[in-house]
Amino acid sequence: MGDNFFFFFFFLVEHQYTSDCSGCFTDNFLCISRAMEDLEDNTTVFSTLRSFNNFISQRMEGVSGQAVPASSQSSLQIQYQQRVQLEEQAGQIHSKSQLLQVEREKMQMELSHKRARIELEKAANTNARNYEREADRNQELLTRIKQYQERETEAENKLKEQMEMNKSYKKSMETMSKKLQEKESKLAEANETITILKGKISELQWNIMNQEMQMTSQDSQKQELMEQLDVQHKKWQEATQQIQTLQASQSLLAEYEQKIKDLEQKFSQQEHDAVIVKNMKTELARFPKMERELRQLREENAYFREMKENNGLLKEEVEGLQRKLERYEKVQAQLVTAELENEKLLGKLKSWEKLDQSTGLNIRTPDDLSRQIVALQQRELVLKEQNSTITNSARILEKARQQLQEEILQIQSQLLDEKKKREQHEALVRRLQKRVLLLTKERDGMRAILESYDSELTPAEHSPQLNRRMREAEEMVQKLHAHNAELEVQMSQVLEEVGNQKQRAEMLEVEMKVLKSRESTAEQSTFITKEEVDALRLKIEELEAERSKLEEQNRSLEMKLEKLTMQGDYDPSKTKVLHFSMNPASLAKQQRKEEQQQLQEECERLRELVRVLEAGGSIHGNLEGVGSFQSPQEVAELKKQVESAELKNQRLKEIFQTKIQEFRKVCYTLTGYQIDITTENQYRLTSIYAEHQGDCLLFKASSSSGGKMQLLENEFSRTIRELIELHLLHQDSIPAFLSALTLELFSRQTIA
Amino acid sequence: MKEWLYKCTVQRLVVVISSIENNEVLERWQFDIECDKNAKGESAPREKSQKAIQDEIRSVIRQITATVTFLPLLETACAFDLLIYTDKDLVVPEKWEESGPQFIANSEEVRLRSFTTTIHKVNSMVAYKKDSFP
Repeated sequence: MGDNFFFFFFFLVEHQYTSDCSGCFTDNFLCISRAMEDLEDNTTVFSTLRSFNNFISQRMEGVSGQAVPASSQSSLQIQYQQRVQLEEQAGQIHSKSQLLQVEREKMQMELSHKRARIELEKAANTNARNYEREADRNQELLTRIKQYQERETEAENKLKEQMEMNKSYKKSMETMSKKLQEKESKLAEANETITILKGKISELQWNIMNQEMQMTSQDSQKQELMEQLDVQHKKWQEATQQIQTLQASQSLLAEYEQKIKDLEQKFSQQEHDAVIVKNMKTELARFPKMERELRQLREENAYFREMKENNGLLKEEVEGLQRKLERYEKVQAQLVTAELENEKLLGKLKSWEKLDQSTGLNIRTPDDLSRQIVALQQRELVLKEQNSTITNSARILEKARQQLQEEILQIQSQLLDEKKKREQHEALVRRLQKRVLLLTKERDGMRAILESYDSELTPAEHSPQLNRRMREAEEMVQKLHAHNAELEVQMSQVLEEVGNQKQRAEMLEVEMKVLKSRESTAEQSTFITKEEVDALRLKIEELEAERSKLEEQNRSLEMKLEKLTMQGDYDPSKTKVLHFSMNPASLAKQQRKEEQQQLQEECERLRELVRVLEAGGSIHGNLEGVGSFQSPQEVAELKKQVESAELKNQRLKEIFQTKIQEFRKVCYTLTGYQIDITTENQYRLTSIYAEHQGDCLLFKASSSSGGKMQLLENEFSRTIRELIELHLLHQDSIPAFLSALTLELFSRQTIA
Repeated sequence: MKEWLYKCTVQRLVVVISSIENNEVLERWQFDIECDKNAKGESAPREKSQKAIQDEIRSVIRQITATVTFLPLLETACAFDLLIYTDKDLVVPEKWEESGPQFIANSEEVRLRSFTTTIHKVNSMVAYKKDSFP
């Protein structure tokens, strides 16, 4: 589009070139611009205007070679310049022709131009006014716009507020809706629960109905069962009655069975008895026979006893004879053996006697023999000594031989080593010789090659072939060397192995020889070892006997140990026995000791008490001293009791005394006699009317109870002899006598 | 006691029943304990169920109650004492003291069953005084 603009402008330039009025250009440009309003916006138009002005200024300056405003396309510019130049040339030609036309038109144009100017000014004014109006309108509109914008902003704020409110309300609404939903859900749940509960209620009611039905059925069943129970009860009673009758009958049955058994037993006994009776009958029938037999048997018995005695005697004789027989047989056997021995001894004697002839020595008597034996023994001793010395020397020689053999072995091994080394050296020598040969051969080959090289140096054509051959030959030689070296190495290894094997074989041969020699020596010394073997066997037997004895001892000791461990024995060096200090046995012992001590102390106290009581001392003091084991309470009580008893005693004594005195006084006054007890059975009576104070009568109780009394003779009784004779001797009444006496004394008193 | 068993220092446990009057030993119940000293070093536990061990102990206790058939009646008042045979070098704790072995002089011995827990083996036996009146 830009290019089009340029081309368009340039065409315009061609047409308007004649006019130099910039204002005309500008007017035309304005017209153009108006015409091109529908084209792109004013800015581009103004920019193109600037560029066009620039171009025009440039065109005004010159034509040739001007700097075109900056345009990117170089080729086009070049073409354009060419064209421009062409056109300029053409234009110059045309311009001149057109100058004239233009001057003509110029005048017309000036007129029209003025008119147009006026119109344009008018239009401009109107346009300015319009423009002002429009500017005012614009401003109004702008103010309005501002107002509206302000309102809009307000409205937007309000909207925002409203929106916020709306949001908050929505939120609250949402919360409310949620709550509503929850409540609705709860309601729904409640409704569900209500329905469930209603269902449960219905089920329960149904269950209740069912259970009531069941109840009624069960009641009916119960009634039936009760009736059945009654029936069963009645049956049971009947059954019990039957059972009782059955039991009675069973008891009867049992009794009858017992009776039957008894009867059966009796029957069997009777059968036995019958059988026995039959046997007895048969036996009785046999009785006379038996008697006869008895007699015979007794006779035979007597006969047999006699025979037995005879037999006994005979047996003794027989035994004696047998013993004698045995003895005689033994004696015979001994005789026979003695004869055999005798013969042997005779033979020996003869042989001994012949010895003289056989040995050629002067042996006639055993003394000579003994002397010979002694001599032989001495010789034997000597020989044994020699033997021992010889055996020692033999051993020494054997040791030396063994040492020598070992040395021989060593030397042989050394020999073998030497041989091996020599062989190795020989092998080395051979290898070296072979190498030498090979080296010489190589050298010869190399020399030949060199000679060939020298002879054939000139042809250059063959040089590469020769070089190649040389190289090949060298390589072959190297390979051969390497192969050779490997072969030599293998050879050496093999030779070494062979040498080792040979050495081993020779060593083994040497050992074999040594063993063979040893075997031969061992065979010689077998009979020496036989003695040792026998001795060893004897030792073994002795040791085995000892071992068996020791085993028996061991067993017995183990038994004892077992028994002791059972009894509780232990090894004092390794174990010790512990027990609790406060163990029950010691506690019981302690208790026992304490009880014993207590009992002893009590015993002693009681003995002292008894002694004291027997002695009759005051109980209180002794109780206090001795009865310390009694509790003080008991002591106080006993003291109180004792005091009370003593008080009672004293009171009783006083009362008795007063009563006795009263009674005696009464008796004295009523009877007239005072009765005193002088000694054990003697009573002294003094009358109330006695003339003298010493006048008294003495009575003695003959019996212990005092039933019969006898009067004793004293001076006063002599004065009243008549009364005594009358009342006591004749009347035999003491009361009459006493009363007569009182009467007489009273009469004497009153009279006198 | 548990410590001593764990350390294998107890060799024997003896219950001695003696009469109070004359301190004469009437019965002697002896339990020998053989302890396997390697058990402490071993890490793997021994394979013996507690039920089996309890069965063995039960049979021993039954045997002990059955000994009433042949043991003589004890008519005098008696007291018992517990003796422990330990290694010589064991430290004697408080309230314990050394004592004698309390043998029975003229004794009959009866060996009872033994039981084992694979670490300890306990042999039991009873010794009683032979009645002078057979």
